[in-house]
Amino acid sequence: MTQSKLALWFRTGISLYAPVIIALLITLFPFYWMFITSLKDSREIFNLQGPILFVQNPTLDNYKYLFESTLFSHWMINSVVIASITTVFSVFVSIIAGYAIARLRFRGASLLAILIFITYLVPKTLLFIPLAQVLSQLQILGEPATLLLTYPTFLIPFCTWLLTGYFRTIPNDLEECARIDGCTRVGAMARITLPLAIPGILTAAIFSFTLSWNDLLYSLAFVNGDANKTLPLGATSSLMVNDYFFWGPLMAASVLASIPVAILYFFFVDLYVGGLTAGAVKG
Amino acid sequence: MVSPAVLFLLFMLGYPFVLAIYLSLTDKRIGADPNFVGLNNFILLAETPRFWRAVQNSLVYTGLALILKFFGGLGLALLLNRQFVGQRLSRAIFLLPWIAPTVFSTLAWWWMFDPSFGVVNVLLKRMGIVQSNIPFLVDPNLAMALLIFVNAWRGIPFFAIVFLAAMQTVSQELLDASKIDGASGWQMLWKVILPLIMPVVLIVMLISTIGTISDFELPFLLTRGGPADATLVFGILTYNYSLESGLYGLGTSVTVTMFPLLALLVIWTLTEIRRDDKVR
Repeated sequence: MTQSKLALWFRTGISLYAPVIIALLITLFPFYWMFITSLKDSREIFNLQGPILFVQNPTLDNYKYLFESTLFSHWMINSVVIASITTVFSVFVSIIAGYAIARLRFRGASLLAILIFITYLVPKTLLFIPLAQVLSQLQILGEPATLLLTYPTFLIPFCTWLLTGYFRTIPNDLEECARIDGCTRVGAMARITLPLAIPGILTAAIFSFTLSWNDLLYSLAFVNGDANKTLPLGATSSLMVNDYFFWGPLMAASVLASIPVAILYFFFVDLYVGGLTAGAVKG
Repeated sequence: MVSPAVLFLLFMLGYPFVLAIYLSLTDKRIGADPNFVGLNNFILLAETPRFWRAVQNSLVYTGLALILKFFGGLGLALLLNRQFVGQRLSRAIFLLPWIAPTVFSTLAWWWMFDPSFGVVNVLLKRMGIVQSNIPFLVDPNLAMALLIFVNAWRGIPFFAIVFLAAMQTVSQELLDASKIDGASGWQMLWKVILPLIMPVVLIVMLISTIGTISDFELPFLLTRGGPADATLVFGILTYNYSLESGLYGLGTSVTVTMFPLLALLVIWTLTEIRRDDKVR
């Protein structure tokens, strides 16, 4: 009896906990290494002797360098402002579009849904050159405002697709009841459907924010001037000079750039997973 | 109600898309007006070995990364489908690579695999597994392997979480019934679960295939297409021609060559999913 119990424990250990632990290690190690490196001074970073996996003399010099010797605070503010504005705009437009596709019976609604999904699949690498032409015709090429116009091109299709799927999971009966009780269509949408769709809306918002926050190609192609850069562009262009990389400040920048997204995400992780999968599975 | 979205997409996505096709037929350079040159760019590309290198690399990169992401995602989903201590926390942690900013997590991987100062080489040497540094990022094959690995590291969580959600919609009665009929765990996975969640699998594979074949950020940061064009993919070649050399027409034509393949893939996947829906 005890022996078979032991055998069962052993089997669970091998088939379940061992792979989970290995996967956790591979998942987390880069973040751990990012953090550890950011706290080392440059001598320790390149010192391959000693207990390399831990910090000997923790220092905040790398972080200080970012704020004193680079325009890091500008890049951070640019990224926050641009990601916030594009997220609010895209989610708002997508709520309306997603709701209409899911609820209103108009001709071609399902075709439109497919078309919007397909636009999500048009790659950024295909669009950045013609978009640069459009932006230069609008005479804003080089300015941060270009990103406000271009990020929604990949945010709206995904959010609309996700929200359409999410609205479809909310029973229409509820809204019809409200309308029989005298609610207008807009009233029913605002009071009944939208509150129920909050997980989906938050998912779309978190997703949009992360996508904007992560972009490098569009800011590389459309924005000029060191103070106008976003975080990914600023950090990679100023801290990777030819073949010399400032690993300490780079890793410090990575930690600071990852924290807002990580906080946002850990707050809402259950909603996020629920919203994402509802949209993807039913959409 | 759909019109704001549609109008915006028409102007900022539809129009640029048409413009892309037009530009690919011109000799547009930076600061000059475009002249129509017909299919010249495509003929030029067909005669350029670097272009074929990019085609080959993009296909290898996408193919192998997709295989890794499919099996990795499936494996992780099966793990997370079981009860264990710390399951909720693990699920949250496993998603981190997918939501963390690509640019910065890629830099961390580079720093870990740096051929002379990377922690991976140091640890491998200390454990006595290798005698001298492995030339990660310097050796062409290793560079491509690392690129594929980092792409999969980033993509697997997304596959896993969507597969997991889809698996949980499969009715327990059906699984019990197949168990009574004597199906093994593997048979249940391949013959019952996978066919049932096929539409979701196809959508995720489609999104990921297109994202990977047109990827720019990851190869740009990790390898810049090198060493010696070993990781030159469509995104990098387009960047070389357009932003680096100012040849916008030629740069656009590189991405336009992807388009027929992508269109076929989208059409095939969407019809597959529709057929699947009708069967049910």
